[in-house]
Amino acid sequence: MTFPDDLKYTAEHEWVRDPGETPGSVRVGITSFAQDALGDIVFVQLPEVGETVAAGAVIGELESTKSVSEVYAPLGGEVVARNEALDATPELVNTDPYGEGWLFEIRADEGGAADLLDADAYQAGLDT
Amino acid sequence: MSDEADQGTPLQTSPLHERHVALGAKLAPFGGWQMPLEYAGGGVVREHTAVREAVGLFDVSHLGTAEVRGPGAVAHLDGLLTNDLARIGPGQAQYTLLCDDETGGVVDDLIVYLHDAERAMLVPNAANSAEVLRRVRESAPEGVEVEDLHAARAVLAVQGPRAEDVLREVGLPVGHDYMSFVEADLDGASVVVCRTGYTGEVGYELVVDASSAVAVWDALVAAGAAYGLVACGLGARDTLRTEMGYPLHGQDISPDVTPVQARLGWAVGWDKPRFAGKDVLVAERAAKPSRLLRGLLAQVRAIPRPGMQVTTTDGTPVGTVTSGTFSPTLKQGVALALLDRAVGLDDEVLVDVRGRGQSFVVTKPPFVVTDVRA
Repeated sequence: MTFPDDLKYTAEHEWVRDPGETPGSVRVGITSFAQDALGDIVFVQLPEVGETVAAGAVIGELESTKSVSEVYAPLGGEVVARNEALDATPELVNTDPYGEGWLFEIRADEGGAADLLDADAYQAGLDT
Repeated sequence: MSDEADQGTPLQTSPLHERHVALGAKLAPFGGWQMPLEYAGGGVVREHTAVREAVGLFDVSHLGTAEVRGPGAVAHLDGLLTNDLARIGPGQAQYTLLCDDETGGVVDDLIVYLHDAERAMLVPNAANSAEVLRRVRESAPEGVEVEDLHAARAVLAVQGPRAEDVLREVGLPVGHDYMSFVEADLDGASVVVCRTGYTGEVGYELVVDASSAVAVWDALVAAGAAYGLVACGLGARDTLRTEMGYPLHGQDISPDVTPVQARLGWAVGWDKPRFAGKDVLVAERAAKPSRLLRGLLAQVRAIPRPGMQVTTTDGTPVGTVTSGTFSPTLKQGVALALLDRAVGLDDEVLVDVRGRGQSFVVTKPPFVVTDVRA
């Protein structure tokens, strides 16, 4: 399992890449630990583009054959992109969680990234 | 067929445990046993698809195994279990139920292997094995012995359209009738090869001594490589059996559910002079049960889960989901649910999926058509 150094992480097993592809945004996905724990992901439900979300709010769901997991907004702001490919190929979250399996992009309100962890701190949390 | 969680006692492990660990299995408690849920590099969908399209190998050693022997052994079982053992002969197996005599509720569903009038083997669910054997012993006539072989035997299932190719390749007998079995020898290991399974595909379950389990597993894995054989965990076994509408004890059937409600009347010998629960079940059948186990097929993108409430389209509660999953074959949510008898086939109902009423249609399983008897 890998946890790239250039990403930030949350305790909810999401990653944040700054910057995202949309100008002024960050990109969000789930970690390889999270996709492995969920198993085969078969449905992905994401927020709509244009939605305003609060940091920590539940804004989507990932369902696997065996369970369901909530998707949280790691930062408050406006959703500016969502990974439309996951509608038809949700398994991308399993096969390429840091690449093609990204979930959405948010343009953050302001700062707000204080609680994010670096790769070492995230991994330390998994080991305890 | 049962997934009751561990009750605090140490988990038992299969004689194939080391093989599972080596294959990177995710292990989970199942009926008091620690068993593979899925394997690394596999995953439920890939394992499920292998069984539908090629062949899968399952360790189901958590299933109980017991021998009942002695004068009148089979007559004793026939007076206790619901199905009619006169319907089968030596060398055949039968799906049957053990019901509570007072309530008619299902204590367990199990397979009986009939050797002769004085010898049969039982294959009950892991979590219920001890209770089944207790009830069989309690009422046994003088001279009938019940030997628990749960830890002494292993059970492997080879399931899928290429299952016969794999067995033939290792030198085991194939091609016998559905639900019949043959005793064979594989490099000195004695193997009972039964044409059965719980996936809906053509397949075999192999009962072997625990001491031969690893050798038989290895032989099957080696021979299976050419046929696309994939090691499969209990996660895939659950999605496969749910697609077929086969009930799981502890979810769809339980001591609180009768065979009449579960639409398992086909596994009851109604004309037999006696079986445990006969009086109450005959009465319930005549009066019509208040609820029935039905299939539900999602009309939207929603996955039903056990315990979710089912309502009519105007919100009146009509039952509960007992098993539910994503069907890897249909790519739709499918469920079994205990529903009020008034709900009919093809009716639209709503399943409460985390606060949202999602549309499902009442369907007669199986959800997926296979050729298990081919």
